[in-house]
Amino acid sequence: GRLAPGLRSFHVGGPPEASTEANVSHGKEKQASVELPLHWSEWQLLDSILPTGGFAHSFGLEAAIQARLISSPDDLRTYVIHILENTGSLLLPFVCTATTSPDLETWHKLDRMLDATLTNEVSRKASTAQGSALLRVAASVFTEVPSLKKMREISLNFGDVAFHHAPLFGIICGLLGLHRGTSQRAYMFITLRDIISAATRLNLVGPLGAAVLQHQIAFVAEAMLKKWKDRAVEEACQTSPLLDTVQGCHAYLFSRLFCS
Amino acid sequence: MAAHRHREREREMESKIEAATGKLVVKKVGGKSTVTRCFSKYPLKFIIPNKVGSSETDAVWVYTLTYGGGIVSGDSISCEITVADACTAVLTTQASTKVYKSLGSKSSEQILEAKIGSDALLAVIPDPVTCFSTASGRHESGEKWDFELYRSTNHIFLEGDQPLFLDSVLLEQGSITNIAERMQDYQVIAMVILLGPKLKQIQIQVQENVRRMMSEQLYLPSTGLRPHGKTQSDHFLAKPSFVVSCSAFGPKGIGIVVRIAAMTTESVYRFLQHQLTGMETLLGVSPYS
Repeated sequence: GRLAPGLRSFHVGGPPEASTEANVSHGKEKQASVELPLHWSEWQLLDSILPTGGFAHSFGLEAAIQARLISSPDDLRTYVIHILENTGSLLLPFVCTATTSPDLETWHKLDRMLDATLTNEVSRKASTAQGSALLRVAASVFTEVPSLKKMREISLNFGDVAFHHAPLFGIICGLLGLHRGTSQRAYMFITLRDIISAATRLNLVGPLGAAVLQHQIAFVAEAMLKKWKDRAVEEACQTSPLLDTVQGCHAYLFSRLFCS
Repeated sequence: MAAHRHREREREMESKIEAATGKLVVKKVGGKSTVTRCFSKYPLKFIIPNKVGSSETDAVWVYTLTYGGGIVSGDSISCEITVADACTAVLTTQASTKVYKSLGSKSSEQILEAKIGSDALLAVIPDPVTCFSTASGRHESGEKWDFELYRSTNHIFLEGDQPLFLDSVLLEQGSITNIAERMQDYQVIAMVILLGPKLKQIQIQVQENVRRMMSEQLYLPSTGLRPHGKTQSDHFLAKPSFVVSCSAFGPKGIGIVVRIAAMTTESVYRFLQHQLTGMETLLGVSPYS
């Protein structure tokens, strides 16, 4: 196992009991935060204003444009749908398992496995960048879940944890008390959100057109979710080898706005 | 290409081994890589020529042949190969693998499992898998990528079952997206894995070649999206006919994976031939030559 000696059975636990966690971590503070409905944290986690650096990544869209694969609004719509399908088939299993077992050992196992699964260097690096930023932000923001900070510190000390995005997103959702159905839908949502955002910055569509497109595609995204949710990580697979090949070309772009 | 794979669950492995259609063991005999065990049953056959290429190169070539020229529904062909320390073996197919439309709901499968010793090299050089939508095996018009399901899995593990490379591609006709739409005009996909210190020089060269090739192919179109669909036939705005990218993987980037999407099979052969000529010194003959 990867845990340090003495930490073999260290378990960072599931969703916090509202009352005990609040008492332990906030000392003299009033118990007002105990009554906070989950919606506040959930919506903040999905809000694009959360500083997780998602806007540095285009999910291969920038490379696809420079390979002239996108030359009409229909092409963009098709592209987004194919990325969502691939997110479902490849990444939802990691989100799901992490949400169901948000403990250190499960997280590290998923992280290692996803590191071997993301064979595309561009998407692998994007995943670790986004995952690291997400955990750093979550550990600072959701202080009522002290295990986030602890897990982060332990893993930084290990040195060989990649901090991939999908498992961490699942872990954070799980520790906040969200159900795996919610976390997987949320993961599809933030993927859709970020590609649409990239599309506007790449001048493929205006802000209003982007919003219209996002809502239209939401129906497709929900269908994708139903198809690909609640699967084991051993079943993770990619469904769009062309897009994978094209995204892998991102490093060859002479001029680029995005990291991936 | 070197691949090392070790299954995790022993019981499953044992039953798979018993059911294996083919087994090969390559060991050093008198200082030369030699096939010391060779077993196959219908529909699989191995052909092992006495000499392939230069006699100075220590490498044994094994050709696999499937009776009937193709795989039909319900076929499960599994092959297990062990390459002992310091040996070199090449596994290749005699002709393209043709997969015909399944009768009923049965699907067919091909499985290769390999164990590679230290300082050993296994090169797996298959010819393409061509999926036909009809039993006659002819492409009728409009039938590109017209099959129900194709799954390709390549898993590589290091000692102690450490996952190194877990690749699984699934092409399945769906109600929302069909395969032809996902593949656009690209008729061929391919993947090349080069793993291990013996292949370092080739890895470096391939990475550089791919970067140079694609840098010329990628550029910003001069305008944004046009509302009326695709632009006129303008060479400047046409898709590249050959798309390739190269990624490092593993600790210290000990491996590279090259992914290709192309419009013709010939262009893929040309690419492989060109990129892998450096393998001649290791294998005796250049792959795809």
